[in-house]
Amino acid sequence: MDVLDPLLDPWRSGIGQRALAEAVLVAAICGALGFWVLSYELSYGAESLAHGLLPGLVLAALAGLPLLVGALGGVAAAAALVGLAARDERIDTDTATAVVVTGMLGLGALLALAPEAPPRLEELLFGNPLAATAGDLAAAAALVVVGGAALVALHRPLTAVALDPGGSSALGVRPTAVRLGLLLLLAAALAVAVEGLGNLLALAVLVAPAAAVQRHVRSPGRAIALAAAIAVAASIAGLYASHYLDIAAGAAIALALCATAALGSLMPRRAQRA
Amino acid sequence: MTAPLVEASGLAAGYGGPPAIRELDFAVEAGQSVAVLGPNGGGKTTLLRALLGELRPAAGSARVEGRPAYVAQSERTRLDFPVSAFDVALMGTLAAGRWWLPARRSERVAAARALERVGLAAVAGTPFGELSGGQRQRVLLARALVQEARVLLLDEPLAGVDRPSAEAIESLLGDLRGEGRALLVSTHDVEGARGFDRVLCLNRRQVAYGPPADCLRRTVLEQTYGSEIVVLEEDGRSLRAVAVQHHDH
Amino acid sequence: MVNASLSGPSIQTIIVLIILATVPDPFDLWQLPFARTAMAELLLLSVAAGLLGAWVVLRRRAFFSHAVGAATFPGLVVAAATGFSAPLAALAVSLAYAAGVVALGRRRPGRRAGADRDHLATALLLVAALAAGVVLASDVFTSGAGVDRLLFGTLLGLDRGDLVLAAVAVALVATATLALGRTWAALGFDREGAGTLPLPAGLADGLLLALIAVVAVAALPAVGALLTTALLIVPAATVRRFAPSIKTLLIAAPLLAASESLAALYLALWLDAPPGPALATLSAAIYLTAALARALRSPRRPTRGPMFPARESPLFISPGAGNIGSPGGRGDT
Repeated sequence: MDVLDPLLDPWRSGIGQRALAEAVLVAAICGALGFWVLSYELSYGAESLAHGLLPGLVLAALAGLPLLVGALGGVAAAAALVGLAARDERIDTDTATAVVVTGMLGLGALLALAPEAPPRLEELLFGNPLAATAGDLAAAAALVVVGGAALVALHRPLTAVALDPGGSSALGVRPTAVRLGLLLLLAAALAVAVEGLGNLLALAVLVAPAAAVQRHVRSPGRAIALAAAIAVAASIAGLYASHYLDIAAGAAIALALCATAALGSLMPRRAQRA
Repeated sequence: MTAPLVEASGLAAGYGGPPAIRELDFAVEAGQSVAVLGPNGGGKTTLLRALLGELRPAAGSARVEGRPAYVAQSERTRLDFPVSAFDVALMGTLAAGRWWLPARRSERVAAARALERVGLAAVAGTPFGELSGGQRQRVLLARALVQEARVLLLDEPLAGVDRPSAEAIESLLGDLRGEGRALLVSTHDVEGARGFDRVLCLNRRQVAYGPPADCLRRTVLEQTYGSEIVVLEEDGRSLRAVAVQHHDH
Repeated sequence: MVNASLSGPSIQTIIVLIILATVPDPFDLWQLPFARTAMAELLLLSVAAGLLGAWVVLRRRAFFSHAVGAATFPGLVVAAATGFSAPLAALAVSLAYAAGVVALGRRRPGRRAGADRDHLATALLLVAALAAGVVLASDVFTSGAGVDRLLFGTLLGLDRGDLVLAAVAVALVATATLALGRTWAALGFDREGAGTLPLPAGLADGLLLALIAVVAVAALPAVGALLTTALLIVPAATVRRFAPSIKTLLIAAPLLAASESLAALYLALWLDAPPGPALATLSAAIYLTAALARALRSPRRPTRGPMFPARESPLFISPGAGNIGSPGGRGDT
């Protein structure tokens, strides 16, 4: 039993168990979704939405509402504002997005730093997996079930539109509808992930695992499965590091996830079949 | 006489603002192939999009029998996306509906047969991005075959394609005509347009539509291409014309 | 006021008096020493960042500007904990980050700058930097080194050294604009066809990135690592919406930045918050108000036409636009 002790120690407490469950659930669905985020070149959009939802988090914290509610509201607001900001053809979308992100980060900080009883801004920015509640677990589980079902059902259209949007629309698959579905999934995934990782680091669980596998796989299905597995493994590793090195859990998970992306991109590509 | 498979009547379409194309009036019967000629920016792609139903007509109407297949420039498809040639061909089955279910066995058989027909059965498992330009076009044609479309819209299918693939594609297009399908092929190859049943000359508006003999005349070509065309006359009768290409794609 | 109530001040008067009581005296901006310093700092930064911001917007380096500022966070944490010079640490990290971005860009020749793939790498690098900073701040150095202050700036803590750095930044940006302005403009318009330039294209662009790093570092004490774009991008983008000439942009952007800074400083005094968030909120609000006004005036959706592939639309939702289309332009995209 001694050998297993170090492996089991972090999970002996209720806090540890909930942190583990939350991290695994979030990693599984976000790692899988990340393949599509990359394939549809949404990583910049995802990061902007993640940064931009901060005011939602702060308002929820101030009002005593669940962070998930604030995150969803924040995502919706950020998306709408990016749409507004980018309408001018003279301003490229990068710049427009940066304007909105700047404003939202500033607004969130203003709300959090000004009043007398500020919410712990750091926790909102960088997450706190150890604060996972039963409600958070329920939300994560719901995301896995619904999101997972959506990914399975949409698999063929997502594949077709990723490869060739024009040809797919000829096939009767509507690229706009597919992209919209993907964006909604992305928004939901971000809203759930920010509880553990915070809005500055949540991007890692979405895109790092997919980035790690992208040059090494030959089919979308394999990419998704592998990315999810890597996400889960890295999250667990991060939690172990947090427990034994006594470092912030959210940051530890984020660093582990980024490391997988670095490793994956450095590894040589599999030899092509002739 | 059966109705034409493709019909445009007073069609105008654009992207908001003044229409990019207007005064389109033509009909394509089953078994006919149409070469769409015109300068870059002249509206060839806009026409194809309007026929696909992606653009709503600003004026007039466009009618296509069934769901057309669209074979695009293969540069625009994602070459680093991890799908095999077989996977791409199989995508044609999405046209049958029920996209939320995995492909049935009969559909997989159809995809394999389509790949055979375009001569690519040997590379069915190869990643799409690793195929040559010509092979990719053939795979997209296989996808169109699986789709069982009666109308095929092709956007410069022979651009930058190697010789063996070009021959295979041309031969296949001939077969498809024989099967009673309708083909619209946008192309820069003015000379190649002679081999088509009809030619549609397009420069924001329909300049001409008719048999190649009528359309491939100096006056028509100059109206279509403006200064982009170089016309050489040989022995006073036959006309050799070369369109100057800009590589904007 | 003819029918003023006889029983005392009206409700309106009371409300106005309450508001006036809490609002700070504008002269405080000048009278309170820390406010004077903050004002001077922000004005200097407005000139530097406003000028440079014009180029950032013209050359589409918005994301880099945001990332390079935020990436300095771990350097700032180490500096705060060890007593090392914060600007030097930040400069080292930011220039290293800039070099990394350039190197990553070179690995893929011929790919459009700003393609999502590049964003991916820089975004993950940014996440790693922020995470590393948090670990260093709370667990390695356990000083609780005012993470909020490093990320969002300070109103009270600005000193002479910061002013000097800001002044240096102004000088550098002004010089660079005079020397490199035409080159940058030519490269932005048409990279391949730019012809013979006084400097090789790579060097000119590298200098632009380096300069962005320097200005971001100069802005860190006042606005914080996460909000350097409030000075660098938002004012210039707001001016750019009105499509002025480059010269007008170069004059108007610093002016707008300066006015917004003063207003933000006032707001910060009133709300007892750092000036960075106030400026970010205010400047973005002004931009979005202009955008809203324009949207209301011409409600028909301006499509981006067939030239923009879907991935260039914001979150690419625009229906119909760009399912089939060719990438446009030969300059920066």
